[in-house]
Amino acid sequence: MTWWAVVRFAHVLSAALWVGGQLTVSLVVLPLARRLLDEQRRAQVMRAVGRRFGVFTGAVFLPVQLGTGVALAWRKGVTWESLGDPGYGRILAAKLALFCAVMVAAGLHGWATGAGRPALARAMAVTALVGSVGVVLLATALPAT
Amino acid sequence: MTSVGIRIEKGPPTAAPPRRASWHLRANAIVVGWLALTVVVALAGEALPAPRWLLIHVFLLGAVSTAILIWSEHFTVALLRARTPEPRWSLTRLAVLNAGTVAVLAGVAVGPWPVAAVGAGAVVGVVLWHAAVLVMLVRRALPGRFGHVIGWYVAAAGALAAGGTLGGLLAAHVGHGAAHERLHAAHAEVNLLGWVGLTVLGTLFTLWPTVLRTRMPEGTRKASRAGLRLAAPGLAVAVAGLLADLRWVAAAGLAAYAAGALAAAAPLAEAVRARRPHTGAAWTLGAAIVWFEVALAVDLVVVATRPPGEVAAALEPLIPLVLVGFVAQVLLGSLLHLLPAVLGGGPARFKENAALLERGWAVRLAALNAGVVLLALRVPAPLLLLGWALVAASVAAFVILAVAALVRSRALAVPRDGAAEPGDGGPGRTAGRPALAGVAAGCVLTAAAVVVAATGGSGPATTVTATGSRTVEVTLSGMSIRPAVIEAPAGTVLTLRVTNADAQRHDLRLATGERTPMLAAGQSATLTLAPLGETVEGWCTVAGHRAAGMTMRIVPAGALARSTDGPMDAAAPGTGHTGHSAEDGDARAASPDPAAAAPVRLDLAAPFSPGWKPYDATLEPAPGGAEHAVEIRVDDSVVREVAPGVRQRVWTFDGTVPGPVLRGKIGDVFTVTFVNGGTMSHGIDFHAGANAPDGVMRTIAPGERLTYRFRAEHAGAWLYHCSTMPMTQHIAGGMYGAVVIDPPDLARADREFLLVQGELHLGEPGGDAQVAKIREGRPDGWMFNGTAAGYDHAPLKARAGERVRIWAVAAGPSSGTALHVVGAPFDTVYKEGAYLLRAGDPGGAQVLDLAPAQGGFAELVFPEPGTYPVVDHTMRQAEGGAHGLFEVSAP
Repeated sequence: MTWWAVVRFAHVLSAALWVGGQLTVSLVVLPLARRLLDEQRRAQVMRAVGRRFGVFTGAVFLPVQLGTGVALAWRKGVTWESLGDPGYGRILAAKLALFCAVMVAAGLHGWATGAGRPALARAMAVTALVGSVGVVLLATALPAT
Repeated sequence: MTSVGIRIEKGPPTAAPPRRASWHLRANAIVVGWLALTVVVALAGEALPAPRWLLIHVFLLGAVSTAILIWSEHFTVALLRARTPEPRWSLTRLAVLNAGTVAVLAGVAVGPWPVAAVGAGAVVGVVLWHAAVLVMLVRRALPGRFGHVIGWYVAAAGALAAGGTLGGLLAAHVGHGAAHERLHAAHAEVNLLGWVGLTVLGTLFTLWPTVLRTRMPEGTRKASRAGLRLAAPGLAVAVAGLLADLRWVAAAGLAAYAAGALAAAAPLAEAVRARRPHTGAAWTLGAAIVWFEVALAVDLVVVATRPPGEVAAALEPLIPLVLVGFVAQVLLGSLLHLLPAVLGGGPARFKENAALLERGWAVRLAALNAGVVLLALRVPAPLLLLGWALVAASVAAFVILAVAALVRSRALAVPRDGAAEPGDGGPGRTAGRPALAGVAAGCVLTAAAVVVAATGGSGPATTVTATGSRTVEVTLSGMSIRPAVIEAPAGTVLTLRVTNADAQRHDLRLATGERTPMLAAGQSATLTLAPLGETVEGWCTVAGHRAAGMTMRIVPAGALARSTDGPMDAAAPGTGHTGHSAEDGDARAASPDPAAAAPVRLDLAAPFSPGWKPYDATLEPAPGGAEHAVEIRVDDSVVREVAPGVRQRVWTFDGTVPGPVLRGKIGDVFTVTFVNGGTMSHGIDFHAGANAPDGVMRTIAPGERLTYRFRAEHAGAWLYHCSTMPMTQHIAGGMYGAVVIDPPDLARADREFLLVQGELHLGEPGGDAQVAKIREGRPDGWMFNGTAAGYDHAPLKARAGERVRIWAVAAGPSSGTALHVVGAPFDTVYKEGAYLLRAGDPGGAQVLDLAPAQGGFAELVFPEPGTYPVVDHTMRQAEGGAHGLFEVSAP
C-alpha cells in the first residue's frame, strides 16, 4: 500500500462515479421520471439532474481524472513517442482519444439541452454513455505490468 | 435478450399482450441473440479457438436450431388447430436445447470433451422429446388439410437426433483418419439436409403461399407426401452409405433425397406462377430456395465422384453457400415475414413493424447474395473479405432492425401512467430513435478505438531485429504437433514447413496470427514468421484438437531454461533433438520439459535424435573361464534419450541403462570392483550371489570403491541394482542390470537377446515431481533396455526358422512384465531357475510373466518372414513404450 495505490484508487473511483452516474440516470432515473412525472416537472427535474452532473463533471471528475491520469502515466514512464508503440502505448492512446470524444459528446449534450434540441441531446447523452463504457473496456485491456 | 420478455410478464396484467405472442416474442429474442453472437464470432474470427467450427455451430446449433424448435411447434399447433402444449414444457425444451448448445460450444472450443458429449446428448434428448410432442399433437388433432407438414418436422427431428449423436462421437474423438472424415461428412449431411432442409421444405408448403399472399396450390398435399417418402429414407440411406464407406449407396440415397426435394418444390413453383414475389420476405426466401437447389446439386456431384472419406473436405467450399445463402436467408426471410405478426399490436402497428423490418430490403438482399457469390467462388483474399463484409453488414442490419422492433413493442407493452402519448408518431419513435443513434455512435467510436488499440498488438516482435533465418520441418499427426517446442535465438526469422502426415485434416495456427490453410492428408504449407521475440504458442484449430494435445511453442533461446528451474535443463543445456531442422544449427526442437507442471505426453512415434543408438539387445555367449573380474563405475549425471525425442538425466552403472551384463555358468566367481564415480552415495546388490548384505551391499560415498565377490551357485536371469535407500528412486533412476547364469543343459540357440524392462519416470531423478510419480506408481512409460519404444525405431533382426532365445529381467521398481511375441508362440519357457516348458513338449506358452526382479528366458521359432512385435502384454505398459519389433527376414 503506497501513495500510488491511493492515486490509482482516486482515478478508478472517480471514473466509477462518472460512468456509474450516467448509467444510473439513464437506466433508473429517466425511466422513472417518464413514468411518474408530468412533462413539465420531468423536464425540470432532468434539467436539474443534468446541471448537477455537469457541475460534478467539471469541478470534480475532470480535475481528478486528468490529474491522477497524468501522474500515473508519468510514473509508468509514458512519453509522447511511446503512445505510438503497439501494446500499452497504443491502447492508452486509443483510450485517451475515446475519452476526448466522450467529453465532446457530453459537451454537445449540454449545449443541445440548452439550445432546445432534445433529440440531439439524447443521442449525445447515449453516445457519451456507450463511449465511456468503451473507455472502461480499454482501461481493462491495458497490460497490467 | 430474455430480460425483454420477462419485463412483459411483469407488466400490469390489464395491458398484458396475449400469452402466445409474449411466448414467441421472448423465444425469438433468443434467436436474434444467437444471430448477434454469430456476427460477433465472425468478426472476432481468429481470436477464438476453433473459429470456423464456432461460427458454424453458433449459427446452426444456436440460432437455427432454436428457431426450428420454436417455429415447428408453433406451426404444428396452428396448422392442426390443436391446443397449445403446456408453455412451461416448451420453455423447458428451449432451455435444455440452449444449455446443451452452450455445453457443446464450450466443450469443443475449450474442452474437456465430455462436456461437449453431454451437451450433444441433451440436444438429442430435447429433439426426440420435441418429436414426441409433435406426434402426440397429430394423434390428438382432427384430420385436416395440413397434417402432412408435421411428418416433415418429425423426420427433421429424427435427423437431428442422428446428427447430434454423430456430433457427440466426433467431439469424443471416436474414429481417426478416414473414419473420422466419414463421420464428419455424415454429421454435416444429416444435420443440414435433414434437420434444416426437411424443416424448411415442410414449412414452405404453407409459408410460401402465405408470403406470396396467394392460395395454396392444388396438389400440395400429394407432392408433400411423395416428397417426404423419397427424401427421408433417401437421407437415411445416404448417411448410412457415408458411414459404411459405400460411395454408390450414399450417392443413390442423396439422389432420392434430391428427387424428394424436387417433388416438394413443384407446388412452390406453381405458387410463384400464380403470384410474383413482391416483398422482401418473399424474395429472400426465394433466393434461399435457389441456393438450396444449387448446394444440393453440387453435393450430389461431390458424393458421387469422391470416396466417402474425402467428401467432408470437398464440401468445405460449399459451407458459406449453404450457411449464408440457404440457411441464413431462410431464417431472415421467415423472420421478416413472421416477426411483425408475432409482435402484434393491431393492423397499424403490424404495418409499421413490417415497414421497419423491410427497410432497404432490396439493397440488403443484393448485398447478401453478392457476398454469397464471392464466398462461393473462392476469390482472392481481399475480395473474400468484401464478401464477408457484405454478408455481415446485411445480417447486422437485420439484427439492428429486429432489435429496434422488439424494443418498440416492449415500449408499447408497458403502459404509462401520467405521460400523455403524443399523437404524432408514437412514443417509440420519439424516445427510441435518438437513443438508438446514440448507441450506434458510441459503439462505432468504441470499435474504432479498439481497432486502433489492437493494431500491431503482437508488440515486441516488431522491435526485434532479424539476426538470421532457419527452416524447421513441422509435422502434424496423431493428435500432436512435432516438434512440440522449437527453440531458436531471439531475432531468428523462422520458416515452418508444415506437413500434415495424418489421415484427417489439420492446420497450424500461431498466436501471432500466421496460419496455414486446412491441410488434407499429405499436404504441406509454409509459414514465415516475424523475427522471434517472445514465446509463441501454436495449435490446430480443428474443433477439439487443441484440447487433445495438438499444441506447440516457439521459444527464444534461453527462455526455456529461464522459464523453469527444472534441473533437467541444468543437466542438459543442449536438451533437445535436431531431428526436424534440415539445415539448421541453432533452431533446436527441444523435447517437452518434464519438469514443467503440465503433464507431458510421450510421443512414441516421434523420431529419435540423429546419432541415437539403441542399447544392443544381442546377448553375447559367456566368456570362457571360471573367474570373471569386472569394474562397474557409477555415473549419475549422464543424459540419455529415454523415449523418442526425450532426453533426460539418468543414474547409471557404467553410463548405460541397463548396466553392463555379466554372463557365466554355474560355479563361476565374479569379482566386481564397484566404484562410485557419481555425485551422491550409491551401492550395489547382486541377486545372483549369496553374501551377507552388511558388507558388500553397503552404501559408499562418491569417490569410494569396494570389492564385491560372489560365486554363482544357481542358474537363472538375475537382477542387480543399486542398494541405497530409497531404492525406488535409485532403480527408477536407471541403476539396474542383469546377470545371466546359463543352466547346465542349455541348448544352442541361433540368436540370443536380452530385454531388461524398467519403468520410465520423466523428470530429474530424485526430483519432487519424479518421486511423487514413483511413489504413486504412475510411470510416464515403460522401457526395454532403457528406452521406450526404442526397438520400434531400431528393430531387432532375425531370420525365419531360426531358434531365438529372449532373456528377460523385470527391473521394476514396481511393475513386472508379461512378455509376449505377437505371431510367434513360445515353445520353451524358463523362469526363475526352472523350465516351465521345453521344446518338444506338446504345450506352448504365450507369455513369460515376471514379477519385479524376476528373470528367465523364452524361446521361439519365427514361422515366416515378417514384422513381429515383442510387447509386455500388460497392454497399458506396451502402449506406454514396452514395445519393440522383430524384423524377420527370409532364411
